[in-house]
Amino acid sequence: MGNRFGVFLRRGYHRASMHDIRVGTQDVFKHQLELASHNYQLLTERGVRAFNVMGAIGSGKTLLILRLAERLKEKGVRVGAIAGDVAGDDDHQKFVAAGLVAANLNTGDDCHLDAHRVGHALENFPLAEVDVLFIENVGNLVCPADFPLGTTGDLVVISVTEGDDMVRKHPKIFAQTDVVAVNKVDLAGFVGVDPMVLVDDYRRLNPQGTVVLTDARSGRGVDELLASLGL
Amino acid sequence: MHEYSLADALLAGLTEYLRAHPVAGRVREVHLRKGELLILSAEALAEAWRILTEGTEVAGSELRIEAIPVRVRCSGCGYEGPVRYASEEGWHFAVPVLACPRCAGRAEVIEGRDLAIVGLSVDDGVEASPPGR
Repeated sequence: MGNRFGVFLRRGYHRASMHDIRVGTQDVFKHQLELASHNYQLLTERGVRAFNVMGAIGSGKTLLILRLAERLKEKGVRVGAIAGDVAGDDDHQKFVAAGLVAANLNTGDDCHLDAHRVGHALENFPLAEVDVLFIENVGNLVCPADFPLGTTGDLVVISVTEGDDMVRKHPKIFAQTDVVAVNKVDLAGFVGVDPMVLVDDYRRLNPQGTVVLTDARSGRGVDELLASLGL
Repeated sequence: MHEYSLADALLAGLTEYLRAHPVAGRVREVHLRKGELLILSAEALAEAWRILTEGTEVAGSELRIEAIPVRVRCSGCGYEGPVRYASEEGWHFAVPVLACPRCAGRAEVIEGRDLAIVGLSVDDGVEASPPGR
């Protein structure tokens, strides 16, 4: 892999013999992209539209996925979910109880899902039984941004209870994600947070993106969120 | 905190490269391109490198990290180049806005997610005279 392009002599500072060599090792991120492309190809071949659902811990990702799934089921769309967590199968059990085709994906130590892990999960997933697949990432607004999974779309979920500074504290994930749900808006008054602060920060970072105010508990905003995801 | 797994992948790539293209001498510096979109701490990456390279042929080498700014290509107007940065008082840093700075359309990121070793500084161990020139 790669070629040595040339040798450059560096004028010595104690070490006249020090020289720089250009090397061509594979870009680590491009390797991640290749793995993600492989997943994308597999999902496309099987006719499955997948979504990488990222977001803060406790922001309501699981319940929001359940609400989206309910609406999709009403439309006759078959829904599956992969529950990504460091440990445990709580979310997986919730998906199973709701009648979704579901799998559990524990990372054990990693703070994010990656295309390699998801690829293995997809190998064992009954893709023929679903039209839409939600892949719930580990609750984290930092690391998942660096790892594309090969999904059709991405969604980031935050909630008002985390404070009105969640977007500006994690700008990179928002700058790179085109659909954002601000959840638990029914609680905004109780925690003294104006959801529009989050919305405005997001629009500054990602003028192309769509932000939807949701309350997963009551189902508010779920239809709008479905439309934003193209579902 | 995924610096260790990425440092491990970088080291694996470099080890493979050095097997095919051995260098004469000691690797003192490893030159890394790091896209500014990647959320990686340079300090944590350097520390991971120090620990993971212990006992390897590149032990003691230091990472020299070059930050690569974002570049985009716009399919709408054909723009190709750097992006606009959003910065607010209190944010303490500027965040690249991944839209076309010319037409505000959707733009594809062509640089800024790089993470690759592109060079080495090698010392063949001969302590030559200081450059008196």
